Amino acid sequence: MWTALVTAIVLFAVGVSAAPAAEPAASPRVSVELLSEAQSVVPGHTFWIALRQRIAPGWHTYWTNPGDSGEPLRVEWSLPAGFRAGEVAWPYPERIPAGIAMSYGYSNEVVLPIAVTAPSDLTIGRDVTLRGHASWLVCEKTCIPEEAPVALTLPATREPSPPDPRGAPLIAAARRAVPTPSPWPASFIATDQAVTLTVAAPDLVPARIEEAWFYPARWGAIDHAGPQRSTTNGSGITLTVARGPLAEAVAGPIEGVLVVAERLDGVVSRQAFAVRADPRATSTGALALVSALALALAGGVVLNLMPCVLPVLSVKALGLVHHAEAPPAALRRHGLAYTLGVLLSFAVVAGVLLALRAGGEGLGWGFQLQSPRFVTLLAYVLFALALSLSGVIVIGARFTGAGQGLVGRGGYAGSFFTGALATVAATPCTAPFMGAAVGYAVTRPWPHALLVFEALGLGLALPYLLLTLVPAWRRFLPKPGAWMRRLQQLLAFPLYASVAWLVWVVSRQAGSQGVAIAAMGLVLIAFAAWLAQTTREASAPWRRSAAVCALGLVAVALTIALTFTSARAPLSALEGGAEPFSPRRLAELRAAGTPVFVNVTAAWCITCLVNERVALRSPAVAAVFARKGVVTLKADWTNRDPLITRVLGSFGRSGVPLYLLYPSGPAPEPTVLPQILSEGILVDATENI
Amino acid sequence: MPNLSVTRRTFLAGTGVALLSRSGLLTPSPAWAAAKVGVAAPTFSAGATSGKNVALADYKGKVVVLEWTNHLCPYVQKHYETGNMQSLQKDATGGGVVWLTIISSAPDTQGYVLAKEADDLTRTRNASPSAVLLDPKGVVGKMYGATNTPHMYVVDKSGTLTYAGAIDDKPTTRRSDVQTARSYVREALASVAAGQPVKTPVTRAYGCTVKYDA
Repeated sequence: MWTALVTAIVLFAVGVSAAPAAEPAASPRVSVELLSEAQSVVPGHTFWIALRQRIAPGWHTYWTNPGDSGEPLRVEWSLPAGFRAGEVAWPYPERIPAGIAMSYGYSNEVVLPIAVTAPSDLTIGRDVTLRGHASWLVCEKTCIPEEAPVALTLPATREPSPPDPRGAPLIAAARRAVPTPSPWPASFIATDQAVTLTVAAPDLVPARIEEAWFYPARWGAIDHAGPQRSTTNGSGITLTVARGPLAEAVAGPIEGVLVVAERLDGVVSRQAFAVRADPRATSTGALALVSALALALAGGVVLNLMPCVLPVLSVKALGLVHHAEAPPAALRRHGLAYTLGVLLSFAVVAGVLLALRAGGEGLGWGFQLQSPRFVTLLAYVLFALALSLSGVIVIGARFTGAGQGLVGRGGYAGSFFTGALATVAATPCTAPFMGAAVGYAVTRPWPHALLVFEALGLGLALPYLLLTLVPAWRRFLPKPGAWMRRLQQLLAFPLYASVAWLVWVVSRQAGSQGVAIAAMGLVLIAFAAWLAQTTREASAPWRRSAAVCALGLVAVALTIALTFTSARAPLSALEGGAEPFSPRRLAELRAAGTPVFVNVTAAWCITCLVNERVALRSPAVAAVFARKGVVTLKADWTNRDPLITRVLGSFGRSGVPLYLLYPSGPAPEPTVLPQILSEGILVDATENI
Repeated sequence: MPNLSVTRRTFLAGTGVALLSRSGLLTPSPAWAAAKVGVAAPTFSAGATSGKNVALADYKGKVVVLEWTNHLCPYVQKHYETGNMQSLQKDATGGGVVWLTIISSAPDTQGYVLAKEADDLTRTRNASPSAVLLDPKGVVGKMYGATNTPHMYVVDKSGTLTYAGAIDDKPTTRRSDVQTARSYVREALASVAAGQPVKTPVTRAYGCTVKYDA
């Protein structure tokens, strides 16, 4: 009776109140009020309101999955006709241990955002009151169910109003704590005792991850109170926790929120990701390895046909045609030496790759190609090979394996190095099946990874090895003749094509200056080759000085290739419609009255990458940027850049990310957006410029 | 100015525990293994309000219901004030089932009672448990992994734990939910009586945390 009376009085009081936000309703433990991000309601628009609870010290309220006890807040709405309220968008919770139980909830204060859609037929100028009845449980040592009516009155306006100075920042902050969909695939393995959750996030930098904690969306799959052991390595996060009591909870996907605490510049920033982990059978580990090995072997065989490898191996095979009558034992030894060369080279590549990954680098196959220096050097090597196939220079038995050396004893080293060369030449090529196998390999423990790489190498060596091991197969090789020379010259062209592609890679990495350097190096190598070849028949002093000149030219080519550090331009600067940042460009755009979004980022900053994935690249953001004519300037701090460091410093930062939004007007100061962006934050901020 | 608008039902009896050593709660949980549904229920022996010791083994060949309670917990009050718990108890014990009500609240915490007070509660609430067990050290509670009040368990005639979890599927304090709720305990008892497997053997218990000694 008393309850009904008070409720009636309150409803009346709220009803006559003209204040934009309702006065908080309070118990000694929790005061609750409705906030709005906007000062008015626009017909047909969806906007955010939020239910804010201020909670007395020591007490807590609950998350959507309250854990082992407790109950989440509920709101029953009685909205004006046509209004629709969405579900509560729950910010990620904190852990509240209670003996053998674990609760998930909030203490001190929580703002629970709710999206409300207004009907399109609102009467402009009239006030709208959103009413609801909230009920929740608040616990300390003891638990008390509480309830209160909540209401919010806003005028209806035709145009959007400025953000509510009190509600907007609180709601924006709360929405940052609402999980964003995880950009990474997740899976889990459940045994009788434990659940192991794997989140494939190879772009996380392990050294920066302070903590990862999984909050399941529902009770039963994991032991809420159990400790969670998590490790972050180059392949992502692995988290093991005791299994929960509900068998069916681990039969299907486990949903929940993964909160990753990342150290950014001394500050710990927490990101919440909505994760849906699919079950993975426990036996797939071994099966996956076997299939990865098969894929790698097949990929290796196919590599022989790739344009960068085929010429090298064809010439090697032509050598066999030449020496079909050589002693089979010698040929066998050549085949084995070649195979050894390939396998050892692959072991080296795998070793370097795994060592770098262990150090936290996010690398995959072809990681060497991330360095423009390496790419240029590779272009040189392939170019020299192509020249030799074209007949510009006869490098001799060493590389091609043709000629006398093949049957001679010294030729074994030549065969070995051909194997190494084939591996180097194979670097820029990716065969079908290879991606999956290598992708698997780099996420496994190192012995597995090494096995996969060796299978790849074996596949590469296999065709030639078989030709040397099985004499009968050599019968299928054609008879030697003049065609061999022409074929050899023809095979130079795939190599030239590979060189052209590598130069294009350099252009992406180091811009036009890089291309100039690479092209100049190629000219020097061609000149050196011609010089060496043309003096071959000359007298000794001539030959010697020509050789010195040629070596000098090659040395110059190598030196200029190694100067790339100063010439290097950021690879990603031009992606996503962004222009590279420079203070001049910023000043130009500002002078022209163009709104500018400055994105100070780095390839190694996980928060930056997440922001790019979940917010910057979202269609909604692109649309609002296009509508408002916002130009994006991207300042890439992947390599230390004093200019960008100064920009960071001028905003009191010493690290990335930093997001600045300059309005089109004359206002000199940009809005500094939060370090953790969401689509909503970016859209809202842009709408308001 | 502020509109006093919180309408709450007063359930709190001042227990004065306040922030009892929160840090203690953070220490690793003691070696306990929650009872597992489908295997033998852990055997225990605890003091009843009658002064006698009661052991699970005493009831071999009978179906046993374990009910964790705390009379000041609003979720427990929902089931007692609506008569739901009492009718469950009557129906069960009338059919030969043994009903053990267990209080694991530690001294000075909510719901802790001495034998006499516990018996008074049984009488005034018109409850009909076979016995009320006092477990102030939380030994039995932790053995079963009881986290909530109410937290319900059903042990079949062979001593196998066949149900663990909530009393029903409406995890609220709303009295009106009792009528429309699906009673997991009733279902489990019916299945056990018919010699059939329990359809929903494990559910999330709801209610207040069991007030174990920190």
